[in-house]
Amino acid sequence: MTDATRLELSRALVVAGAILYIPANVLPVMTMTVAGDVEPLTVMGGVQELYDSGLPAVAGIVFLASIVVPLLKLVCLSWMLLLQDTDILRLQRTAALRILHQIGTWSMIDIFLLSVLTAVGQLGILASVRAEPGGLFFAIVLLCTLFAADFYKPHLIWREATT
Amino acid sequence: MAEPEEAMISCRVCGAGIRDRALHFGETLRCRRCHEVVKASGRGHLLHVAWALATTGMILCVLSNVYPILEFNVAGNTQSNRIMTGVQGLAGQGYWPVALLVFFCAVAAPFLYFAAVWYVAGSVCMGQRWPFVGLVARVAERVAPWSLVPVFAIACMVSVVKLDLLGKVTWEAGIWWVGLLAACSFALTQVFDREFAAKRLGGLP
Repeated sequence: MTDATRLELSRALVVAGAILYIPANVLPVMTMTVAGDVEPLTVMGGVQELYDSGLPAVAGIVFLASIVVPLLKLVCLSWMLLLQDTDILRLQRTAALRILHQIGTWSMIDIFLLSVLTAVGQLGILASVRAEPGGLFFAIVLLCTLFAADFYKPHLIWREATT
Repeated sequence: MAEPEEAMISCRVCGAGIRDRALHFGETLRCRRCHEVVKASGRGHLLHVAWALATTGMILCVLSNVYPILEFNVAGNTQSNRIMTGVQGLAGQGYWPVALLVFFCAVAAPFLYFAAVWYVAGSVCMGQRWPFVGLVARVAERVAPWSLVPVFAIACMVSVVKLDLLGKVTWEAGIWWVGLLAACSFALTQVFDREFAAKRLGGLP
């Protein structure tokens, strides 16, 4: 794959991810039914529920992994792509890309959480968990950011310096 | 006096030339311009450990998928949960792309990663170039970022906290296997040096 193709794919995936980030956070990810009480939950709603239940540490982990990390990836990748082929902050951009590769997959917590809750929540009216379209959008955003970071290799940041 | 040409290494990220030198155990040589590690020492002898961890990991993959992770109880009605129960639940509700993603990251990629590392490390440790070992090494490199058992283990902990608010949750044997698998997966990513393995493979018959 050529460098130009990598850049094009990375740009397209970042734009797609940024657009889909909105429905992923606005639409419910799951609907929980407990003793007949139906409650649709967005990503932020799930965090809020954990916080309100007196579990701020767990809420903090889910907030960082599900809201902050995908947003940070989109912002950082956009910043890197905007500065592409310039010699501004090359070292910082390289370091940021390394960090993105390390933390990027932690956003999958919410998808795994949905999977575990869907598995146990099959007790009909007593307790059930249904996946909702927000979960699908959230999964696509994660894939967009993961592939965008994967296509954008660190050598692209230093491309001008080597030619 | 000028250094001989073979004593220079080119940084694969920024292309800068770095003077090569012998490294002490555990030492790394970094590019002065982009700070990329261009040469590392000390992990080569750990290929035997990587082989052992990969073998353990493959066994743990099977165990963590066979045993239930947790049991959820509401008003006397119980539901037990394996990794695949969630995948089936999501697929059954029509969210098969999400189900596929969970299946790949929590089941397929970890097993594929352990199996690929086992094959590559085994080939190097036995001193024989096994068929398609170069291809398998590339598979190991490609699936490594998708092997997300440690993230899955954390998600299990969070789900229990959440389910505890709705009913009674009991841990089952499977969670221990998932925990051990997460630890094994993390340890393997620390000890398996793909570049060192590739270098050793290049010298094998």
